[in-house]
Amino acid sequence: MSMKQHILPGALACAALSLLSVDALAGDGKIAIKAGRVITMNGAEIKDGVIVIEDGRIKEVAAGAATRWDSELLDHPELTAFPGFVEAHTNRGMDRPNENIEVAPFLDVRDSIDPINFYFEDSLRQGIVALNIQQGPMCVVGAQGRVVRPFGMTVEDMTIKPDAGLKIVAGSRMGRSRATQAMMLRKSFADVERYLAKLMQDEKDGKDAAKREALFQGRDPEKPENKEGRAMEGVAKWKLSGFEIVGRGLVDKKQEPMLRLVEGKLMAFVQCDGAASVHLALEVARHNGFLANTVLVLDGDSFKAVDAIAEAGVPVVLGPNMVWTERDPLNGKENETFIPSVFAGKKVRFALQSLNSTSQSLWFQAATCVSYGLDRETAMASVTSTAADILRLGKRVGRLAPGFDGNVVLASGDPLSATARVEYVVLDGEVVYDRSKDPRAKQLLEGVEQLGAAQQGLPDEEVDPHSGQKKPAKNDKGDKTEKKD
Amino acid sequence: MRFLLQLAASALCAAPLCAGGSVALRAGTIHTSDGAVHTGGAVVVVVDGKIVAVGKDVAVPAGLRVVDYGPEAVIVPGLVAADSSYGDGQGGGRTADLLVDAVDGFDQHQSYLFALQQGVTSAYIAPARGRLVAGRGAVVKLAGPVGPERVIAASAMVHGTITAEARAVRGWWEPPIPATIDVGLGFEQAQLPKSLIGAIVALQELASLGKGEDVARLEAEYGPDLRAGLVEVLEAKTPWRIGADSAEEIRALLAFAKESGLPIVIDGANQAALVAEEVAKSGLAVVVEADYTPNAAPRDQGKDAGDDWRRYDAAAELARRGVAVALAPSPSMGAHEVRFAATLLRRGGLSADEALLGVTRNAAEVLGVGRRVGRLAPGFDGDVAVFAGHPMESGSATLATWVDGELAFSAADRAAAREPGARYQSGPIVLSVDELHVGDGTVLSPGELLMRDGRIVEVGRKVGRPSGAMVVRGKAAMPGMIDALGHLGLEGSNRGPAQRQSMSRIVEPGDLADRKVAMAGVTTVGLTPRSGARSGIPVMAYKPAADDLSVQVVDDPCAVRLSWSAANRRESGRGVAEALKKAADYAKKWTEYEAKLAAYSPPKAEPPPPPLPEKKKEEAKKDGEEKKDEAKPAEGEKKEEPKKDEKKKKKGEEEPPKPVTGSWEGKLAMDGVEARIRLLLVEDSGKVEGSLRCDLVSAELVSVSGARDGHKAPLSGACAAGAIAIEGEAKDGKWKAKVSVGAKAAEVELAQTSTEVLVARRSEQRKEKDEKKDEAKGAPKAPGVDPELEPLRRAMMGEGAVLVAVQREDEIVACVDLFESHGIQPVLVGAGDAWKVLDRIQGRVAGVLLSQRIQYVDPTQGLEPINRYEQLAAAGIPVAFHSLAEEGAADLPLMAAYAVSQGMGPAAALRALTSDAARILAIDDKVGLLAAGMDADVLLLDGAPLEPATSVLRAFVAGKEIR
Repeated sequence: MSMKQHILPGALACAALSLLSVDALAGDGKIAIKAGRVITMNGAEIKDGVIVIEDGRIKEVAAGAATRWDSELLDHPELTAFPGFVEAHTNRGMDRPNENIEVAPFLDVRDSIDPINFYFEDSLRQGIVALNIQQGPMCVVGAQGRVVRPFGMTVEDMTIKPDAGLKIVAGSRMGRSRATQAMMLRKSFADVERYLAKLMQDEKDGKDAAKREALFQGRDPEKPENKEGRAMEGVAKWKLSGFEIVGRGLVDKKQEPMLRLVEGKLMAFVQCDGAASVHLALEVARHNGFLANTVLVLDGDSFKAVDAIAEAGVPVVLGPNMVWTERDPLNGKENETFIPSVFAGKKVRFALQSLNSTSQSLWFQAATCVSYGLDRETAMASVTSTAADILRLGKRVGRLAPGFDGNVVLASGDPLSATARVEYVVLDGEVVYDRSKDPRAKQLLEGVEQLGAAQQGLPDEEVDPHSGQKKPAKNDKGDKTEKKD
Repeated sequence: MRFLLQLAASALCAAPLCAGGSVALRAGTIHTSDGAVHTGGAVVVVVDGKIVAVGKDVAVPAGLRVVDYGPEAVIVPGLVAADSSYGDGQGGGRTADLLVDAVDGFDQHQSYLFALQQGVTSAYIAPARGRLVAGRGAVVKLAGPVGPERVIAASAMVHGTITAEARAVRGWWEPPIPATIDVGLGFEQAQLPKSLIGAIVALQELASLGKGEDVARLEAEYGPDLRAGLVEVLEAKTPWRIGADSAEEIRALLAFAKESGLPIVIDGANQAALVAEEVAKSGLAVVVEADYTPNAAPRDQGKDAGDDWRRYDAAAELARRGVAVALAPSPSMGAHEVRFAATLLRRGGLSADEALLGVTRNAAEVLGVGRRVGRLAPGFDGDVAVFAGHPMESGSATLATWVDGELAFSAADRAAAREPGARYQSGPIVLSVDELHVGDGTVLSPGELLMRDGRIVEVGRKVGRPSGAMVVRGKAAMPGMIDALGHLGLEGSNRGPAQRQSMSRIVEPGDLADRKVAMAGVTTVGLTPRSGARSGIPVMAYKPAADDLSVQVVDDPCAVRLSWSAANRRESGRGVAEALKKAADYAKKWTEYEAKLAAYSPPKAEPPPPPLPEKKKEEAKKDGEEKKDEAKPAEGEKKEEPKKDEKKKKKGEEEPPKPVTGSWEGKLAMDGVEARIRLLLVEDSGKVEGSLRCDLVSAELVSVSGARDGHKAPLSGACAAGAIAIEGEAKDGKWKAKVSVGAKAAEVELAQTSTEVLVARRSEQRKEKDEKKDEAKGAPKAPGVDPELEPLRRAMMGEGAVLVAVQREDEIVACVDLFESHGIQPVLVGAGDAWKVLDRIQGRVAGVLLSQRIQYVDPTQGLEPINRYEQLAAAGIPVAFHSLAEEGAADLPLMAAYAVSQGMGPAAALRALTSDAARILAIDDKVGLLAAGMDADVLLLDGAPLEPATSVLRAFVAGKEIR
């Protein structure tokens, strides 16, 4: 049992975030990290390696890399450095995960992400360096997602990749059967098509409603880039002839994201609640030309459609529940399927999702994979490099290599070990998390009261049941509780 | 054999993703739904998933797998569920929406076994419910590899309804994005229909929209997405399946169909009987749904005179007027209830064959898939359902379901797939006979019996047919016969075992002789040693032919056998009297103890018990006996063998390797299945021979042999599954062995349960130790169980039987008097003179086991033969037949038949073979009657029981057929 599992953010909701970021403010993106073991996820591990970060980017990762005289040095031969985990899909970290409107591609999670959400703080503690935040599954076509790092005062500060992709739901959901959901999903694309057809017709007919709307939305359709950009470009499967006459600037903001999806310029994260939904998801993606940009976010018995997924060649993000249990209809026996192994067996690229933000975060999910017999490489990659690749961030996060974002996590042991803890998180060359200065962890693990924390209802001293003598009250001076693992 | 065939078939079919299987299916009757019914044995030939031939004289291609379901089985086309609950869900927001495709709701990865096990192979899936036009329905296959082939028709019908169901559509409101001062939030638009007229108007408008009339207004009303779909379905002439239940709705729909010319299918049609004539004239297709929701509380249907209560006669009335009705379950029933729905819709006079058409051919044709499924004809899909009778007769169980020539469900497989740990593995079996002889004189004609899990579940004129039930038909059935006193199982031994030895230890699962006896009709034997002490010989009731040790013993002992007569007649009865007196004292002790125990309340804090109180606490008498036994074990020749063993035991702590002779038991687990394993071994100067029984290894006893060296005694043998080897060390009564069978191997820990092979040749003197309980100080002491007296005590409590061998009339009377004074009704054995004192023993004896001499000539009465069986039976004294033989028990039914030929009533003779014999042995709670809860020991006969010409066709012991 790891102490990670005891960190309960809700119970500690009374401290200031600024305590965490003291070091960060001082950083200038220049740091050298020495660690006893460096897991690069980019070739072999390095013993006693040095990671040199300059201008927020990794400059060198090697055993004897030279460090600059003026750079900060994080010298911890007892720790293990790794690129940090990548949460490939999550609905957390927003003020609310779902919207009322069923087809709302014009929304952006930017407007919902809450930088001071405890979720991000917890993510740091769990060694997560990038999160793909997507709208919840109660929609047909949802908002545009965003990949962020779990640190920053503003959403822009946090952002790694805006326009990370559209959220699409192919499964049945509350109050909607799969057939109805399928109807609405197909219709949402048909609506874009119909809109474009009308736009073209209006242009031919010389109507200026679209122009006026563009001006209202703040775009000047007469600007060269708006005028020349064609309304329909890219690799779209279905095209309407005669789009040359329509400039991009005329396309309504509300329709733009779907259009970009069809054009192959935006990724789609398609949520499937079961195997039947997978077929629908693939069919819609194929028909509308965004299969190559599709990531399936799977749940339920979706793994049963693994053959179709492998054939389509799309990567997947697996649901947080990785074990599927089903009864044999003939004899009632329970059969258990470990889902990641199914995908590993069919060579489908997959990433994992956290079950929760504390005890069953990505490290736990990957460790579970190992305990179920998946090879360590694949398990580790599914929460680091593969996850980054799936998010098209394979050149920025998920690996420790020159040119990558200066993200390094230092753990007290193997990242997948239940007894190891994240000691430091370095994001873009800045130390943003230092466990020794984490007030909430201190309070929980060592009983160190935070400044101003009230001791309501707690006795000052305890009586030893054996001797009958009063035990000295715990204080923060030299009476640190031993870590129990 | 049939089971094996089916199992083999299912194993062959395991290869995935084949384009369709090839198989020839044979049964007594085949309904093709294509105009022919083949009886007297016919075959369906399926090649690559398609039917190539059907009929009586069809040549089966060489090498084709043939599955024969037997003469009673009925083959029909795979049933087509013209409605189901599979795609159900909330509809779209619009009152009419053609974009909702039911096929999107079809989950091919789901198991449809629930429907397949009812013979349903295809089903209609509705897009949604509760809309004027909910979308497009699809027809799909319920089994087969995942892929587009599973969908027979993606756009089979436009699905909608004009019933009240459609009138709850909420208003339509599309929020503007963004809502501004200029745009406003808009408002909710009401949608049709709000009434029946509204529904018809809406349908008319849809037809207009499809034709391109008044487009702007109608698109504003119904949304911009509808028209393209309407045009498509109108062009494709897709049928419109519109729900209409009441007479008004049906009439309105008929009028709309006439006016619009749309290919309407009337769906539901609950009250169609009222307008049957009009419907028939219209020529429209009809799907009649059995509007009933099983497994739910009934709903009220309205108290007004005008309220339409549900009816089930629409199909009959329409069929009578020549309408080819399709029958369907209601959506709330689900596809698996097709057969119940169809049988319910037979109300009003629809014949079984018409109903079958309604769920096969007619259903397929209405759904537009009538060229692929619904018939057994060349070119059609190889979808076949096999039933144990006419599928439209309530209760004919499904035997198997085939989809595209591949086995999709098999009742036999299901039985085999059950938890192997289950005590019984026999599936439900229904015996359906002309005469069911219950055993107590009652005859049900016709009669049926349902057995499951080794017991009789139900007996009646007609019984239930649970899923997977096998139906066996025959002329007559009766309970398995009971040999009231016999020796089958003693293997020729003349020895009498000590009373303390449980006879159940010598029981071995049925061998060939045991099974032959059972096939002759005798399934239970009151087994008793040939000789024994005068103080009481045990009788154990057991089923020699059963193959599972756990079901073999009925009661052990069920009775104790005493002998009244002595060589010196003056001594006659003295032994019995003494035994009874002792037993009475013994019983009194127990009664007192029980009374004390009831009055005793234990002290609150219980100190730890003193270290060695047991010896003194235990009844002194028994200990004394034990010591005596040990001291001079050679009381008789029967103790020769154990003597050696016991001497060895006494030589110090360190035991030398012992012979492995004896019985070893354990649990063997292989491939996740666990079964009991038992070794019976005899070691003779180092060589070991014996037998192994384990269901995992072989159904038969496997003989094993080897030699012992020290603690090791490797054994080997051979069985059907391959060579068997047992290795490991036998030490201190434990044998950690590795058992390998063929290529498989498993570890097993065997425990020695006896040091002898107990086939009654040798007996064991080891006393069974009674459980020593920790008793609190002051608690009443249990008197201890005396195995000699216990049977008598049980008899005094009315729980066991006492058999007394007694011949002469004076002795009979004295005996009955004595027993009466102890509150026991004895069973008289022999009792040659009993017929002379009928009036004095009537009501005072539990029964009489007369000798095998049925025709008796009393020289004092001239030469007229007397049938004492008849006389006793007529006097109301239970009699039973007994063989006092081993496999000679097989003649028992002849003995009874002869008794009948000599004037005994057949009913009385049947009772004597069954229920009365069971009562005499006090085992009537388990065997002897065909009644619910009794063990399923049943004989299937080809004629009336007790007719000499009648033979036993099949015998079931504990629900399993003896072969």
